[in-house]
Amino acid sequence: MGAGDFAVIGTGEVPTGNYPDRSEFEIAYEVSRMAIRDAGIDKNEIGAVLTAGHIMSNPDNDYNTEMFFGRLPEAIGANGCKVVATTISGGASSFSIRKTAEGILESGETDTVLVVHAQRFSQFSANEQAKYFSIAGSDVEWEVPYGMTYNSLAAIVTQGYMAYMGATIEQVAAVCVACRKWAMLQPNAMYNNKEITVEKVVNARVVSWPLTTLMCNVLGDGGSAYIMTTAEKARKVCDKPVYVLGEASEYSHRTITRSRQKDPGKMGEDLAVTARLAYDRSNLGPEDMDIFEIYGSYPVISLIVMDALDIPDERTSGELVLAGETSPGGKYPVSTNGEALSFGHTGTGVGFSTFVESVRQLQGRAGAAQVEGAKFLVENCGGGAFMDCHFTLMGSEVPQ
Amino acid sequence: MAGEKIDIEAIKAMLNLTDEDLVKPLPIPTKWSQPFWDASKQHKLVLKKCSKCGFIDHPPYLYCTNCQEDEHEWVEASGRATLAAYAINTFGVPFPFWVDLPYVVAMIDLPEGPRMISNIVECDQEKLENGMELEVVFDDVNDDITLPKWRPVDESKRG
Repeated sequence: MGAGDFAVIGTGEVPTGNYPDRSEFEIAYEVSRMAIRDAGIDKNEIGAVLTAGHIMSNPDNDYNTEMFFGRLPEAIGANGCKVVATTISGGASSFSIRKTAEGILESGETDTVLVVHAQRFSQFSANEQAKYFSIAGSDVEWEVPYGMTYNSLAAIVTQGYMAYMGATIEQVAAVCVACRKWAMLQPNAMYNNKEITVEKVVNARVVSWPLTTLMCNVLGDGGSAYIMTTAEKARKVCDKPVYVLGEASEYSHRTITRSRQKDPGKMGEDLAVTARLAYDRSNLGPEDMDIFEIYGSYPVISLIVMDALDIPDERTSGELVLAGETSPGGKYPVSTNGEALSFGHTGTGVGFSTFVESVRQLQGRAGAAQVEGAKFLVENCGGGAFMDCHFTLMGSEVPQ
Repeated sequence: MAGEKIDIEAIKAMLNLTDEDLVKPLPIPTKWSQPFWDASKQHKLVLKKCSKCGFIDHPPYLYCTNCQEDEHEWVEASGRATLAAYAINTFGVPFPFWVDLPYVVAMIDLPEGPRMISNIVECDQEKLENGMELEVVFDDVNDDITLPKWRPVDESKRG
């Protein structure tokens, strides 16, 4: 496999937010049809249907079971389907499912794959959600008994990063402000009608010091889909295919105490090795990037990933964000859909919405959020308790 | 950062919580971690050390994560540590922990090598500092489980 062998030719997405009456099945069926129509292909061309496993399933009508038992091809009438599979790796699902899609395409069994994510958190009570997320990011034997939560995990990393890097709480807050500014330009974002300021973010209620409520992501219902094909087919059927140019991955740990990098100030330095590999595999460098589509989930992760991406500027990641350089109109657009912080956290779907937004940007179809002339970007995701990190270079053309 | 006064009975009524919803989660020891919790009950902090390569695993696993050998011994730790980074939970924690707010969850480094997540107790939360010296204390939660926790060595930083 080489750079630019695979391409995305169509996407679909429903708004993220609180939609208790919209089941995850409805979302999956809806975004599938949207992606098929957007790609301009016949539904029977689809040879593989991949669904992201979702979290907190309802045991009385389990979406995950229905999906890996082949509900989706039947429901959307994908009569040419040969392969169904469910892939999940938490927040990194968008990456691992794409690798699955690439493997199927590489095998030659089909040249067209549909990839789908759907999630409905609002069917669960606040207590059920709190319980799940208190164990999802933390070790049940060694951390949960101490009252550890996902927010505390991010707070510990934030406190460490600030202390070791000299970053300020205003810089951390500025990430949330930038995300909100982008989300304001996105019709499908959960929080797109109210601007926030650094002052407001810093002075919001403290959840897990140093994090305030506005520095923590909020769960929402949502979903998206895309059609992936071989580059050869993409060039035949699509005016604006978006190519996967190169990827690189790193796994570190399950429990944060066993992360490979012990110094909270050096996490970006560590990930820079992986980011550089992704750049090199694509024959591109940070100076070629029009957008940095980062999946932060918490503002500190966005800063760490920015550190890793080697943005060609002497200022630190925190300084760049505070100066507005990552916001709409800035020199280095970051997370143009507002990601988990303002677009909404759809479980295993945050990376999907980042990826789908990346495709829209490179097709020049990102509406009010469009970065003028965007040609190349780097997309990122990761899951668990910051267990892994993946970088994907994407482009509207394949660099020679 | 001072915690607001929390009326747990009011929250219980408002959210229709049962007594069970307010029970704190406790470790469920595995075959390979049981000796840690047995020692903790005796107020001893022990670590799983590989007899072949000397690697100390924490959390422990079925076999050594460095060389995959089974033979190991449980060695007593010094009971000292340093604070690597921390958070102070003030809100939005699982209901059983609301009575403890505000409380410190921290990442601590043992001189023996491993890193742990634990609570810093008996401390002045305003005086916590990365790198500060800590010593282990044992919280006897019930007859079966004792949780090792940590407090500042420097008495002027205790709360």
